[in-house]
Formats: sequence, C-alpha cells, structure tokens
Amino acid sequence: MTVITCIPPLAALPYNTLVVAAGVAAVGCAAGVVGCFAMLRRRALVGDAAAHASLAGVAGAFLLTGRRDLPMLLAGAFAAAAAGMVALVLVRRFTRTRDDAATAIVIGVAFGLGIMLVSGIPRWGFAGSAGLEQMLLGHTAAVTVADATLLATVSLLAMAVVACFTKEATLVAFDAAFAAAAGWPVAAIDVALLGLVAAMVVTGLPAAGAVLVTALLVIPPVAARQWTDRVGPLLVLAGAIGLAAALAGVAVSATVPGLPTGPLVVLAAATVCGVSLLAAPGRGLVARRIERAAVTRRAIRGMLIDACRREADAADATFDHAAVVGAVAGDGPRERRSVSRAWDDLVRQGLIEPLAAGPRWRLTPAGRGAAAERSRRRDGWLRLMETAPDEVRAGLTIDLPAPAATPTATAGKGVP
Amino acid sequence: MTGVTLTVLAATGSGWAMHGWAIATAAVVAAGCAVVGTLLVVRRLSLLGDAVSHAVLPGLAVAVLAGGRPGGLLVFVGAVVAALLTVGAARGVNAAGGLDEDSGAGVVFTTMFAVGVVLVTVFARRMHLDAQCLLYGDLEYVPFETLAIAGLDVPRAFVSGATVFVLLVAAAAATWKLQVFTAFDPAAARAAGLPVAAVTTGLLVATAMATVASFETVGAVLVVALLVVPAAAAELLVRRLHQLAIVAVLLAVAGAVIGYLVAWAGNVNAAGAIAVVLGVEYVVVACLTPDDGIVARLCGRLGLAWRVACEDRLATLWREEESGATGAAVGGLVAARLRAGGLIERQGPDWRLTARGRREAETIVRSHRLWEAWLGRHADLPLDHLHPPAEWVEHHLGRDVRRRIEQDLGRGGGDPHGRDIPPEV
Repeated sequence: MTVITCIPPLAALPYNTLVVAAGVAAVGCAAGVVGCFAMLRRRALVGDAAAHASLAGVAGAFLLTGRRDLPMLLAGAFAAAAAGMVALVLVRRFTRTRDDAATAIVIGVAFGLGIMLVSGIPRWGFAGSAGLEQMLLGHTAAVTVADATLLATVSLLAMAVVACFTKEATLVAFDAAFAAAAGWPVAAIDVALLGLVAAMVVTGLPAAGAVLVTALLVIPPVAARQWTDRVGPLLVLAGAIGLAAALAGVAVSATVPGLPTGPLVVLAAATVCGVSLLAAPGRGLVARRIERAAVTRRAIRGMLIDACRREADAADATFDHAAVVGAVAGDGPRERRSVSRAWDDLVRQGLIEPLAAGPRWRLTPAGRGAAAERSRRRDGWLRLMETAPDEVRAGLTIDLPAPAATPTATAGKGVP
Repeated sequence: MTGVTLTVLAATGSGWAMHGWAIATAAVVAAGCAVVGTLLVVRRLSLLGDAVSHAVLPGLAVAVLAGGRPGGLLVFVGAVVAALLTVGAARGVNAAGGLDEDSGAGVVFTTMFAVGVVLVTVFARRMHLDAQCLLYGDLEYVPFETLAIAGLDVPRAFVSGATVFVLLVAAAAATWKLQVFTAFDPAAARAAGLPVAAVTTGLLVATAMATVASFETVGAVLVVALLVVPAAAAELLVRRLHQLAIVAVLLAVAGAVIGYLVAWAGNVNAAGAIAVVLGVEYVVVACLTPDDGIVARLCGRLGLAWRVACEDRLATLWREEESGATGAAVGGLVAARLRAGGLIERQGPDWRLTARGRREAETIVRSHRLWEAWLGRHADLPLDHLHPPAEWVEHHLGRDVRRRIEQDLGRGGGDPHGRDIPPEV
C-alpha cells in the first residue's frame, strides 16, 4: 500500500481505489508470471478457453447460491474453467479434431453456455443478479476491499507456487520428452500448470472480464521474452510488466472518468509489448534491422575489396573507382549508394588509398592482406565443398558466389 | 428483454411469422459461417477465426463513428480492414518475437478488442452501437427492422445474411480446386505456382464478412462457435472437402433452428442457445460416428476384450485336457457364452470341450505355440519371456501367417517348452 501511495498519479486517489489498484496490480503481476509458462509450453490460448468457460461458472454459482458474493462466483468460475480445460483434453484425446479447432470449440460453446445462463437469470426471476454481466468486460470499481484482498492472496499464492516449481516447469516447457524420459511426472506438472492458468484467469475476471483476461496472461510474457533469453529474468520481467500495466490502467481510468479499467490495463500492456517488439536489444525489430544492415554492409565491403584486387591484378596494381563500383553494384541508385558507403568504409579503414598522382587508386598493404585473407578463406570453403560428402554439403549454409563468378585458384597466386 | 419481445410478438398475433423470420435469419447466417469455417478448420486456422471475430469490433466502431449504418457498406469495409490488420499484425508479432501462432494471435486480438471496447464506451452516445448487442447478439429483435422486398417485409439482417451466404458459396465454388489444393498441401500448392497467399487473404476477408453478417444476430464472441463447431463436427463424419462443407452447413442450420427453439422455450439468449446446441451436436457426432467415434471405438475394444476372454478360456480347457487334469470349475458369463455357442458341454461335474470347441481351442493353442517357437528362434529372448507376447498374439494370427511361420520353422518341431504344436484344423 505504501508503495502505491508513492506513485504520483495514484497518490491523489481515494483509499478504496488504492485498495482496488493493489488487488488488480497483484493479479496483473501473477498473471504475467504464470503466462510465461503457458507461452513457453506453446499453450498461450489455453487461458482463453478457460476465460470464456469461466462466465458459465459465474452464472452457475449465482444460480446455486442465489447471492452475488465474489468468492462464491470465483469458485464457480474456477470449476467451469477447469471443466473447460478437461473438455479440451478430452477432445484432443478421443477425437480426430485438431488442437486449434478444439480450443475454438471450447471457447465458443462454453461462452455460449455462459451467455445463455447470464441472460436467463433475470428472466427466470432471480433478483440481485445485476453485475453478473460485468464479468464479461470486467468492472473494477465494483471490487470491494475484501474482494481485493482475496485477489491479492490468490495471486501471491500462484506466484509462490511458480517460485517453488520453476525448475520443473522450465524442464517440461522446453523439453517435455526429455522430462518424461528422465522420470519427471510430466502429466502432473502440466495439470498443475493448467490449474494455475485457470486460477489466474478466474482471479483476473473482476479486473479485466472474461474476454480480456487472456490478455493479462499472454501480453506481458510476449513483451518480456523480447528482453531476455533466461527463464528467471523472464518471470520477473513479465510480472513487472503486468504490474505496471495494471497500475497504469487503474490510474488512467481513475483520472479520466468514463473509461473502463480492464481494456485500459490491456492497452497499457500492449503498449509495453509493442515497444518491446520494436526496441528490445537483440530480438527487437529495430535491433535486428540494424544488425542486418551491418551484415549487408560488411558483405558489400568484402565484395568491393575482391573487385579492387581483381582490377589491380589485371592492371598495374592500380584501379579505377568507377570500374570497381560498377563491378559490384547493379543499376539501382540505392545499390550504388550502399556501395559507395562501403567504399568510404574501406578508405576510412585504410585498406585502399588514392594514388598521389592521377585519379586512380590502389590497395594499401593492409588492404592486400585483407583481400588475401578473404581469398584464402574462400578457397578453403571451396575445397571443403568439393570434398565433403553430399549430406554434409547440404547442411552447409554459406553463400558462395555463383560458379561463373568464382575466382579461379590462380587468381590467388598474384597476391604478394 | 426477450420476455418483453415475446409478449409483443404474441400480442401482435403474428408470432409465428416473426419467429419464422428470426429462425430463417439465424439459419442463413449460420450456413454462411459454416462455409467459411470448413476452410478455416481444414487449414488449421480456427483460432484465426476467433481472433478475427474479436478484432472486427474496433473496425466496426470506427466505421459507425464515421457515419456508417449497421449493415451498410462502410461498416463492412471497416470490419474487413480491421480483420486484415489483425492478421497482418499477428504475423508481424510472430515474426518479430519468434513466437508461435497462439501468442501472436493472443496479443493482437485482445489488444484490438480492448481498443474496440474503449471506443464503444467513450463514444457510446454518438453511435448506435450497443455493446450488449455486439457481444450477445439480438436475434429476437431481428424481425423488427425490415426492408420491403417484392411487397414483403423482409428483415434487413436476413437480407444481409442471405447476400453474404450467396457470395461466400459463389466464391468458394469458383475457387474450389484452388481451395482443396491449398487446404491439403499448401507447400505443394505454392511450389505449383498457385497464389496461396492470396487464397489465405481471401479466406480472411470471407471470415470478416461472415463475422460482420453474424454480428447483429449472434454477437461478436459467439461467431467462433458458428465458424468452427459445425465444420469440426463434419470433419469427424466425412472425409471429402465438398461433403464436409455440405454436412457443416446442414449441422449449422439444424443448430440454429433447434437453438432458437430452445431459447424460445427456455426464455434465454438465442445466440448462446445456438452455440450450446452446436456443442451438443459436436459431442453427439464425436460419440456416435461410425468406425472411429468414441462409442464405436469403445464397442470395438469391449468386443475385443470379450473375444480374448472367451478364447483364453477355451485354450485353458484344452491345455487342461492335454495335461490330463480335469475338474476346473467353469462359470460366469464367458462360460455361458461358450456353452450357448456349443463350444463346451457339461459331463457330470466337469466341463468338457465339444468337438467344435476343441477345433477352435487347437487353433488358438497352435497360434500361441507357433509364436513362442518363432520368437525362440528369431528373437534372442530367455525362455520365460516367450509366453507373455504369445498370450497376446495368439488372438490375432490368421491361417496364412500360421502357415508361413510353420514353413519358417520346418515341420515336426515342438514349442520351446517341449510341447507339441497342434496341427492346423
């Protein structure tokens, strides 16, 4: 609580809102953590099936107890989510229906059942059912202090379970076959994972609603995955992103009247995810674009220096700028631009230099060394490709020049 | 809501005509979805259908804000654009993050839906979009908004649903060979120079169209049930793509009609009831499909277990006669079956094999011992490991296999335990 009151946009909010924010933040954090394993196990949308099924459970629990009491409703939702998962497993086990269709069937039919029951409750004369429909899109403002405490407790428990079984879950997520062979109870671990997913879906219901709670499970892990290749940091980061998104969503919806909290939390998480997909170092789109450009530029430099040496060998150890660039670049203006950038690189690296007299250029000693090294490596690869058995050659993925452009072995002998 | 509607319908005295229109609308919309759904299911794109059906919400909202009428062209375009955006973004997320299909779709469609909900909430006053209706559908209200066609008051939703259905069927029929090829071997289709990417895009546009046509009747989230469930059920029943499409359409129409009637009787939301009825259809089909339905396979297994039990009992009696021991008590269902089949008979206090029973028992024991002998010769197994596999295989060896094993072993040999192998009967 004290942490939350320190955050500027939240500090001015009434106590009740803060309690709700704490509950929702705990849910966001735990859902992010649990979602990591669902993502790694390639079952990201299993949570979606559980979420859609939970609505029927909410309605069923209300029909049975006749009261709108959050713990009861959530218990019903959990039972229905678990039943949805069982249905999924049964369809996979006993029919020819493929996984994607099985998931879609559970989503559609279970949600239909939920809507049927929810629509029936008031028409069948049950009083006090108002607000059940809000489980569809979430209605954070209706969460009481006791409810928030419940949500936070379940979330903390879920995170504790994940913390205790990280090793086992990681093993199953990355190599289920090995885990089974090594004697780990893979089925039990999977069931536990599904149970955790169902629990998080149900806890997320009051905050985000049945349709959007999947987002809390899916988006933070996808965002966190961009920044790390290790499971520990992934869990921490996904939890942090979920938490931050929840707080941001609550803060915005509290300051701007009329905006629903759940979708805002999802949009906050989606923003983080978009930024991560674009800007994360290593895996991000921008980083990979830059890396690819650097690789291309290096390749062009290599082609240029080869061309320089060919020209130099053909003439009096000097060459013409236009001839070399023309040999490497095609006709396109973009291609010519990137080739002349690579030319400038070579000059800057001291591999080629202009002659003191006249417009012609020559390779420096360092440039000749670099060209010789390239040709030595290429000859090595060519020998390997010629002598290697077919099955090895098929696995070699080096971009060799087309045969016509391959310099003959004699070309290398001119190098001092 | 429906309660009121139904009262109104009853009061107007034209209840049946009104319900008839609602049922017809539901049926035609379901049929259109089933056509698209067939292709989605066989191409393993079911979840894309789910994603698209969620993601058209913001497109719809923006189109309505821009002045589009529900059912109008602008709304259609908005939804299709949103659907294509979703799919493109999902592919982008997958590619950028190196993720599997599920994650990319999950990220994008939840985000799109969130955008849609925020738009609908913020601009609720300015648009005639009811979030409740978008999510649940309002099949009950369909008959109240009509167009006059040839002197008849036809509900607008029926007209748009029927138009979309006809368009989808025509598009599917026109590209049928392409669809079949792409569905069953996309790689080969691409290698053959067919426009696979264009076919996929067209399928997504069709999904968006079917989704929009269903919006007002069954609501956003239940479209996935109409798209996937009939096709998945049909896939269990038939194997050829055109049969699959036809069966899917029939199942969808049946589901729509029965679902509406259930909703009418139970006074509940019609879209939900239709989805549930479709689910029931799927379960029934999964259970009752001939050959590989759950019930058929269960019966097959029980039948096999029963045959194995009977044959084992016969073989036991035969072995007892062979070793000279008698008097083993035979009782229970298995004995009753053997006795009814004339395979065993009572002699004093004991049960004996009849001549027919002896012949059958000899065949089984012969299979058993041949298999032991063959394993003993070819598989490097200790003597006490030969019996368990033979105990299974004895029930499955045919005359031809027995003859070939015997040829392989050479005549006159016994089994590895030194007992004679009975001759072929």
